[in-house]
Amino acid sequence: APAVVTAQSPTVLKMQTSWPSSDIFQDMAKQYVERVEAMSGGRLKIDLLPAGAVVGAFQVQDACHDGIIDAAHTVPVYWYGKHKAASLFGTGPVWGGSATNLLAWIHKGGGQEFYRELTQDILGLNVVGFFGFPMPAQPLGWFKKEIAGAGDVNGLKYRTVGLAADLMQAMGMRVTQLPGGEIVPAMERGVIDAFEFNNPTSDMRFGAQDVAKNYMLSSYHQASESFEFIFNKDRFERLDKDLQAILRYAVESASTANTALALDQYSADLQKLQKESGVKVVRTPSEVLNKQLEAWDKLIPQLEGDAFMKRVMDSQRAWTERTVFYQLMNDPDYKLAFNHYFPSKIAL
Amino acid sequence: MIRYIEFADRLSAWIGKAFAWSIVVMTFGVSYEVFVRYFLDNPTTWAFDITYMMYGALFMMGGAYTLSRDGHVRGDFIYRLWRPRTQATVELVLYFLFFFPGIIALILAGWKYASRSWRYAEVSVMSPAGIPIFQFKSIIVAAGILLLIQGIAQVFRCILCIRTGEWMRARDDVEETETALAKSVATDSLPHASEAVDVVTPMHHKNNGDRRG
Amino acid sequence: MSDPQVALLMLGSFLFVILLGFPIAFTLMAMGVGFGYYAYYDAERMRTIFDNRIFDLFVNQTYSVMANDVLTAVPLFLFMGYVVERANIVDRLFHTIFIAARRLPGSMAIAALITCALFATATGIVGAVVTLMGLLAFPAMLKARYDTSFASGVICAGGTLGILIPPSIMLIVYAATSGVSIVRLYAGALLPGLMLAGLYLVYVVIRAVLQPSVAPKPRDEDIGDVPIGKLMVMLATSFLPLAVLILSVLGAILFGLATPSEAAAIGALGGLVLAAAYGSLTWDRLRQSVYLTVRTSAMVCWLFVGSWTFSSVFSYLGGEGVITEFVTGLDLTPLQFLLLAQLIIFLLGWPLEWSEIIIIFVPIFLPLLPHFGIDPLFFGILIALNLQTSFLTPPMAMSAYYLKGIAPPHVQLVQIFKGCMPFLFLVFLSMILLYMFPQIAYFLPNLVYGQ
Ligand code: NA
Ligand code: NA
Repeated sequence: APAVVTAQSPTVLKMQTSWPSSDIFQDMAKQYVERVEAMSGGRLKIDLLPAGAVVGAFQVQDACHDGIIDAAHTVPVYWYGKHKAASLFGTGPVWGGSATNLLAWIHKGGGQEFYRELTQDILGLNVVGFFGFPMPAQPLGWFKKEIAGAGDVNGLKYRTVGLAADLMQAMGMRVTQLPGGEIVPAMERGVIDAFEFNNPTSDMRFGAQDVAKNYMLSSYHQASESFEFIFNKDRFERLDKDLQAILRYAVESASTANTALALDQYSADLQKLQKESGVKVVRTPSEVLNKQLEAWDKLIPQLEGDAFMKRVMDSQRAWTERTVFYQLMNDPDYKLAFNHYFPSKIAL
Repeated sequence: MIRYIEFADRLSAWIGKAFAWSIVVMTFGVSYEVFVRYFLDNPTTWAFDITYMMYGALFMMGGAYTLSRDGHVRGDFIYRLWRPRTQATVELVLYFLFFFPGIIALILAGWKYASRSWRYAEVSVMSPAGIPIFQFKSIIVAAGILLLIQGIAQVFRCILCIRTGEWMRARDDVEETETALAKSVATDSLPHASEAVDVVTPMHHKNNGDRRG
Repeated sequence: MSDPQVALLMLGSFLFVILLGFPIAFTLMAMGVGFGYYAYYDAERMRTIFDNRIFDLFVNQTYSVMANDVLTAVPLFLFMGYVVERANIVDRLFHTIFIAARRLPGSMAIAALITCALFATATGIVGAVVTLMGLLAFPAMLKARYDTSFASGVICAGGTLGILIPPSIMLIVYAATSGVSIVRLYAGALLPGLMLAGLYLVYVVIRAVLQPSVAPKPRDEDIGDVPIGKLMVMLATSFLPLAVLILSVLGAILFGLATPSEAAAIGALGGLVLAAAYGSLTWDRLRQSVYLTVRTSAMVCWLFVGSWTFSSVFSYLGGEGVITEFVTGLDLTPLQFLLLAQLIIFLLGWPLEWSEIIIIFVPIFLPLLPHFGIDPLFFGILIALNLQTSFLTPPMAMSAYYLKGIAPPHVQLVQIFKGCMPFLFLVFLSMILLYMFPQIAYFLPNLVYGQ
């Protein structure tokens, strides 16, 4: 290249997500990109690509490590085949805290350092990563028949991914592994009786309401997840310090924007599912949730067999015990207030 | 040179054919999965992973065998008009331009990719069965090395053809019996437009000698 | 030279190199790696000459082909095809249809088209259908002195119907990209798919009537005098068993009992049973089927390895950027936009495959749809029809390549392309019909799922 100083031309990063362009997660990734570009005054541009544009949805971490893409917008559960500890960053045991609480653990409770140790030291990956957007808990999913009690889940053929597969299996379900595109046809064919995906908006855009009419909300299988923003470490460290800071803190900024978008869109789509598609929206009975906790009890000792995972879970338990005690003691009963102003909306 | 070609042909064929049998395992394995799902209402947790691994291993390890029998499709609307000597000269150059760089890249990058997977004993994320996939990723390297060995044999074939004016065909193939059959069918074939028709039943078409003619 | 210009150079030199007759799979791989080396060149990472990200991309794409759950059906369907072929049913079958329909113009092409459409419907995978039908029906047509181009066109166009008529992988990918419900899309694509198959059939009959030399009627001495009773027995022993096998594979998918791979495995098992019933399941034949399966699978799948690497580098260089700028810069009516979009998709279908087109280019059009008031379901079905052409247009005419790969050596690519031409026009005709009568797409989804 000629030795002309091209101060005006922006640095362009290629970021691929694990989502199709139609998914609301892609819109959320866009919110991040907009913030980065605005904060950097146009010095930094992000070329945002959907899943499959360069590599498959599950391959973004490898691609980031190799530098085929500079950055990725994904979730750790997609690389849990490399180390089961990946699931502890969002889809592990639910100790009593929300996704917001777990995100706080990542920021202040030592999670970020555990994540760095796992990706860089244990797996030897050339990546840096940040977490943002504490997701609303993922629903138990879509069922052909409503789940009224703990007995109803026995023997159900159910589709999920990651550690949730182990969990649901421990609950007595028969977990079937299917790629995303096969879920709806598989439901139609009776290959599976039920499945979970992510949230009302993604599930609706995906066509879940065409193959099942019972939508069970609340579950402990993926209840504290956040987005993972990964960067190729060399590429990241080559950037000016201020641009590095922008990439990092825009994650925090996008987190709030994502939450607002999610609350607006998820709730609107949940109503749409009820009113326009005749979907029955039900809360998972506490009997089933208890069974899930018992299933976690069976899994946790197995997971603790790994020294690193034991350390992470010890840290999470200590964090939760202190912070959630404070939260639960401190929080007013929001349900009470909601029922006061919007009576008989929720029957519990 | 001839001994090397024969060695490579035999090696590629032996490995390709060994992996070819996974199609039978796939047939029965997948059928078993369907059976237990419908009749015992108890799907397996491993069938999905095993199926694509068998498929991937089958075609990757069959690549060199297919190359030795000239089974990879060519855009040959001009190529086929050339004399064997011209074909061999062009092909000799193209092997160095369009074959070895890609295959060597596949071996080296595949090594990096697979060894990383070995390091963390990677398993599939598709099921709770925890099926290992690091050995499957190593197939990339194995298939690349096999293609490299066969590619060298193909280069020797080109050199031989430039010397003798004739292509050296792959030996000891399953199609030996079929070649005889092909000839008998060809005599039955009907004249067709302006072309000589050597219509053969499908089992014969892959024969190296026929293609190189 | 700018990157998009390099992309165009890449495409241009590929067109030239293909003429030299080197195996296409390796040509695509090497050109992908070569141009990718330029595209991904980054001076700051160069410690050795191997520190280029193209190598990682290449391996990644290779692994994607290896772990592709959809392509697993390819060897299984091929194995079924080889087993059935070796059971000595096919010769009898075509002979029987040949005789049964000998009074009809283009009878064997009709039979081949119907079988193609049925197989395509069952598998949804073009490579498997074209190769399978190229192995089963193509030699039979040549034997019956059909014009090589005409017979090639029937197989390529008929086999390509697999990505259109549900269940189709292409529709699943479009659903994931656009957010249109997959079951609606399936229901919506069924009638347009059958309509296109119908147009093909009409064409075959008309062509055979107007130009009998392309699809000659059998001479009497070839067939002899076959009494109706004997014909019935022939149908029952050759046509019926295979029809049952094919229909049960098809039924298993359509009536929701199995995935295409599973149906293919059951079909292969059924083929083995059938071969045993015909007394032709010998060890030697099984061995041959197995070995031919591995060779043809390797041919088809290594082509995927090459084309996925090539296409991703082509996209990375921004070869399509020119096209994108062209669209956005214009002030268009909905019809003009639709025509332009379909034209671009048609043109992209020359060098690229449907997967790149749907994953990378369709998202460019999707946000424009509300602006022009076009329903994404309708748009998707138009694209599905349109992308039929991508398999038939050079340089990346996958259907033609599959057929070339398994056809007798004397069949030239030029002949195959020539044979595909009339079917390209029928695809355009079907798109015009769909545009004029959108009910063809909406009738079934509205019937099943309501408005
Ligand atoms: Na999920
Ligand atoms: Na094309």
